[in-house]
Amino acid sequence: MSQKKNALAGKKALELLSGNAVPIMFIIICAIFIPLAGFSPSYLLNEIITRMGRNLFLVLCLLFPIMAGMGLNFAMTLGAMGAEIAVILVADWQIWGIPGVVLSMILSIPFSALLGFICGTLQNMSKGREMITSYIINFFINGWYLLIVLYTMGPIIPIIHSSIMLPRGYGIRNTVSLLNMRQCLDDLLAIRISGVKIPVFTFLLVGLLCLFIVWFRRTKLGQDMRAVGQDMQVAKDAGINVDRTRILSVVMSTVCAGFGMVIYLQNIGNLPTYTGHSQIGMFCIAALLVGGASVEKATIGNAFLGVTLFHLMFIVAPSAGKVITGDSMVGEYFRVFLSYGVITIALIMYEAKKRMEKSRAGQELAQAQKEEEAAQ
Amino acid sequence: MKSKRRILFSLLMVLILAAVSACMLVIGRGHTLYFDNKTLEGYEGQDYKAYERVVVTVKGKEVAKLNKRERDMTTWIGQNFKMTLAVTEKKGDEPVVQEISLKLPYSVDGIVINLPALLAGLPEEAWFSEFVPAAAEKDPEDENPDGDSFGLDGELGLEDGLGLGDI
Amino acid sequence: MGTNKTAAAAEKSRFQVMLEQFGLPRLILSGFLLLLLVMAPFVGVDLPTQITNIINRFSWNAVLVLALVPMVHSGCGLNFGLPLAVICGLMGGTLSIQLGFTGAMSFLMAVIIATPFAVLLGGGYGLLLNRIKGGEMMIATYVGLSIMSFFCMMWLLLPYNNPKMVYGLSASGLRPTISLEGFYDQTLANLFKIDFHEVAQSLHISLGPLERIKIPTGSLLVFALLALLIWAFLHTKTGTAMTAVGSNPNFARAAGINVNKIRTLSVIMSTWLGAMGILIYQQGFGFIQLYNAPNNLTMPTVAAILIGGALVNKATIANVIIGTILFQGMVTMTPTIMNAIVHMDMSEVIRIIVSQGMILYALTRKQEGSK
Repeated sequence: MSQKKNALAGKKALELLSGNAVPIMFIIICAIFIPLAGFSPSYLLNEIITRMGRNLFLVLCLLFPIMAGMGLNFAMTLGAMGAEIAVILVADWQIWGIPGVVLSMILSIPFSALLGFICGTLQNMSKGREMITSYIINFFINGWYLLIVLYTMGPIIPIIHSSIMLPRGYGIRNTVSLLNMRQCLDDLLAIRISGVKIPVFTFLLVGLLCLFIVWFRRTKLGQDMRAVGQDMQVAKDAGINVDRTRILSVVMSTVCAGFGMVIYLQNIGNLPTYTGHSQIGMFCIAALLVGGASVEKATIGNAFLGVTLFHLMFIVAPSAGKVITGDSMVGEYFRVFLSYGVITIALIMYEAKKRMEKSRAGQELAQAQKEEEAAQ
Repeated sequence: MKSKRRILFSLLMVLILAAVSACMLVIGRGHTLYFDNKTLEGYEGQDYKAYERVVVTVKGKEVAKLNKRERDMTTWIGQNFKMTLAVTEKKGDEPVVQEISLKLPYSVDGIVINLPALLAGLPEEAWFSEFVPAAAEKDPEDENPDGDSFGLDGELGLEDGLGLGDI
Repeated sequence: MGTNKTAAAAEKSRFQVMLEQFGLPRLILSGFLLLLLVMAPFVGVDLPTQITNIINRFSWNAVLVLALVPMVHSGCGLNFGLPLAVICGLMGGTLSIQLGFTGAMSFLMAVIIATPFAVLLGGGYGLLLNRIKGGEMMIATYVGLSIMSFFCMMWLLLPYNNPKMVYGLSASGLRPTISLEGFYDQTLANLFKIDFHEVAQSLHISLGPLERIKIPTGSLLVFALLALLIWAFLHTKTGTAMTAVGSNPNFARAAGINVNKIRTLSVIMSTWLGAMGILIYQQGFGFIQLYNAPNNLTMPTVAAILIGGALVNKATIANVIIGTILFQGMVTMTPTIMNAIVHMDMSEVIRIIVSQGMILYALTRKQEGSK
């Protein structure tokens, strides 16, 4: 009896282990790297908390499309681009401090919503390969972003201050200083505990988004979204406007990503105009997946755990790489490799599982047919 | 009925957001203030001598300590500027503390304030001038921004810069 | 009179059919390219030089574009995992130089060394893609990126020590850009090269501005040979089986074709061709580019074949040729023409928008066939 119980417990433990293979792997990597890198615990803690404040909002915005069964939203970068345009304008108008941040957020809404709408529509046109489509939309919209920022800002879109423009007279500089906006959210209500700064207000905003997500899951729209994510055909038969629901989920994701990007930029304190958004999508997705999320299921807990583990690895990898191989570049490439690798593994697991389920369903159907025939 | 309410609701939302952003536009406008402790010469035939030392305190923080002929700066968000000045007129005098509030013009980024003129109670044109930044210094890395890479990383699917330039 | 009318109608319908076959985006792009070519003399751009450039760039890129064909045929979609194939080629190139080969021999050795890598990595890649049918493109993208970042570490860690390739100071770790001078720079291009200038001189005639045209015959011949091989292969029994697998896997399985085996074969072929493609690109370009460079060619290559009229599940040799000429024509001509007219180089942005837009267009099109 007890043996059976033990076996059951063992099986459960094994399931837990295999279900959380990625987080466990990252915990092991971090456990090896942290002593090698030799950072002080207070430094690490400080860095982690800063990065959590900076990235959590962005990572959480990935949850909406996953809810609607559209997979990882590689096009969250669109929201980041919308936010960047808003931030450039606000910096040019010289609106500083918290009002500047609030204005950037509000101003980013129309841009991100429009881009999100375009993205959702295109993804509806390519059902079954939403992810690759969103991945390409990234690059496509990035081209338009470059066109707007590099050629129309100045001659067409009025820019008042030449200090943020390129010397040639049009286009925005490679970096726009946000010195007067820098960490104004983080410093609001910030608490310092033995050298570790906790940006309470930023975390409050993140908490607010979490609450919103929890509440949203229970609303009619949230239920619809989950139904669409489960099975589009069934949802359609139940009278849900599938396409509209999917577009809404993407729009919500991009708008939130825009807010997240403003939070991110106020923490960094300057805007890398042409590179700021390029890696955001990849890192956020990798962070979410490191937290144990999969392509079809992700929770708020996954986001928190993922950001912590992923950024811990990110901080310590270069130094650890230098200790191991004598070249800090190796560590830097290693962390990029891990980010890509984690996404690859998650995608493979998702597709393999989907295929297995499909073939199992097919087999069951065939079995049922056979039985029916036998009964006749 | 329901759709009407929804439209109304979203219109209201847009209105609120627009109102908030208009509000932010007003209260968030940042200015850079430059304080001059310089003698103002020949204003309506009179000179206003620079003080021995002026300490400028804004929001309880000392932002500038000016000796004769010195300039310093601070930033301020909004148009209602308040500062506390501790003025030492001549060597050996006790500093006189004064609170001053000013209305800043919305459209000006950098404002130069001549303190002796301001404290003498002269009209605005005497102590106020707009700060004109020197021609933006050229940043070498910005010189050639539309080289092929924009400094972008590999994930963007661009062909490398060398691929085009060398043919 | 009446016959005339019907002839005109027939002409019109034929024109419409042609238009449909040709596709609107391609028509716009061809028009754009034609416009650029016509405009060139008027804005003071030297047309023969431009044509030489287009031919040159065609010869560099055509094989890479050709490498996409087998995978499209077997239904694996667009090979966004091209960096994997490029890595195989890079291994071949760097190892050949490391082993001390020079000149034309280094190219031959690079091809020979790259082959086993292509077969092994391509085989593994093919087996992986068989497990995730339906999600190939997304996974291919990330497999390519993972492999690329893995090899970023390898370029630093593998014990290369040829002073022509490694960092001078530490004497280890490959440099990001390695010059091929003295190795296989222009090896193929100089083979049977036709230089109109020399031709004119030897014939004692003047060809005017045409003398500036040079044709890298060797590279073009190699492309022609490979294209011919692929074309012939697609008409063999295995080749038709591949097409069948791509257009209707269930039917193919019912017909007794081993779908997985055919798909793996197509992936290996794609990978090998990609490795050849990058070697040919390097011999034309004159440099080996490492680290993040392998990914730089992915999107332009995919865009090229789509501009040529390929679909996500259908591609021909003609698509490859037309697409490469159109895309490379656009890439070479726009910057010069734009600079000549408005003194503003927007070509980079235009290229991103056109190529990504083209891929997006292909992905969002309603497709006949599976998926």
